[in-house]
Amino acid sequence: MSHPSVVSVMEIRCICLQNAIKIEKRTGEFRIEDIIAKYRPIVTFKVKKSLGVRTPDWEDVVNEIMLNVVEKLKQGEFRGDSSIGTFIYTITSRRIVDFIRQKTKVLSHAPEPRDFDSPEEQLEDRERAEKLALAVASLKPKYKEVLYLYYYRDLSRDEVARRLNITPRRVSERVNYAQKLLKKKLKK
Amino acid sequence: MKKCRQTLRIDDYLLDKLDEPSKAEFEEHYFNCRVCFRELERRNELISVVKLKGADILQTNEREAETESRPKLKNLFAGLTIKQWSLAAVSAAVIFIAILGVLPDSTSEVPHFYVNSDTVRGDTLNLISPVINIDRVPSVFNWESQGEDVEYVISLYNHELLWTTSTRDDSVRVPESVRDRMRAGERYSWQVKAFSSQGNLLSISSRVHFTLLGKN
Repeated sequence: MSHPSVVSVMEIRCICLQNAIKIEKRTGEFRIEDIIAKYRPIVTFKVKKSLGVRTPDWEDVVNEIMLNVVEKLKQGEFRGDSSIGTFIYTITSRRIVDFIRQKTKVLSHAPEPRDFDSPEEQLEDRERAEKLALAVASLKPKYKEVLYLYYYRDLSRDEVARRLNITPRRVSERVNYAQKLLKKKLKK
Repeated sequence: MKKCRQTLRIDDYLLDKLDEPSKAEFEEHYFNCRVCFRELERRNELISVVKLKGADILQTNEREAETESRPKLKNLFAGLTIKQWSLAAVSAAVIFIAILGVLPDSTSEVPHFYVNSDTVRGDTLNLISPVINIDRVPSVFNWESQGEDVEYVISLYNHELLWTTSTRDDSVRVPESVRDRMRAGERYSWQVKAFSSQGNLLSISSRVHFTLLGKN
């Protein structure tokens, strides 16, 4: 008999190669804690993107989703028809939609939500952001130009290419290379 | 290092350029793909920093672009004799005059701001709120103050211009009539221009997009 914190799941690994997709199916036993540790950051990302970081309830929504995932896993509701990632994605999407529906009804006459961010999180984010900003500022002009036009001005790849007199492909290459350079700089 | 073809969609996803079905498909994918999720987090961080501090990066960029071009010019002319110099100068002048008459304005290396027919080289204006997807119609738009004696023109768009107004404050209340026209699920953008008391364009914000997820 399995330990209550261990579940049998089928995990589908999607390995996206250059010209093909290789799918590996792996059936095994996984600790629920490991599943939570793995998927919590992904759920958090999706929730923050959907609700916005200024929404004070985003953390509660993430907690509710993870509790829901644990309950369903323990009750054997995951049957392996899809991957565990898809299973958790489905629960996440539904909860977000429900939350938005509830909020639009409840908050129709409520004051604007105040900004929420713990001081520790702000400090950590700010420090890291400063480091990254310095790294971006130290890039060569041709990389900064493309980041500025593509991310800051929100122009399309074609429009950036036209402004800088390069091909759209070159725009993508510069963005990707800038990212690699920044990764190197931040590791130092 | 493992690669995933789907990483090509990361920028479009983060910049809200994917349609709803593609967005859902990509979201499900990164719930299953460690490579993509890791890259997604990194890229999101970079975009956030650029959106917050883009103006500072641009100013540094302009100075460096000018500095970088100087040594190249010096090396180019270092090996010429006086006769070659004179010939080069005359040829350059002739070509320059010909170019002025023939070619349209080309984009310089240093970015300018283009807003319809306005072209301004100068500071950018940072928008504060709303700058990301929101779950209800905004009642107020906020932006960074450009100082005293400045008039701001704010414009709100969906597929076309929805509303425009001017103010001397660094925020403006959205009229009820405009809020009633905003629909859940639709994408909007807004932009602010700052003018001096003499009517000169001082700075422009980028056009920031947001999607209205819900409606009050």
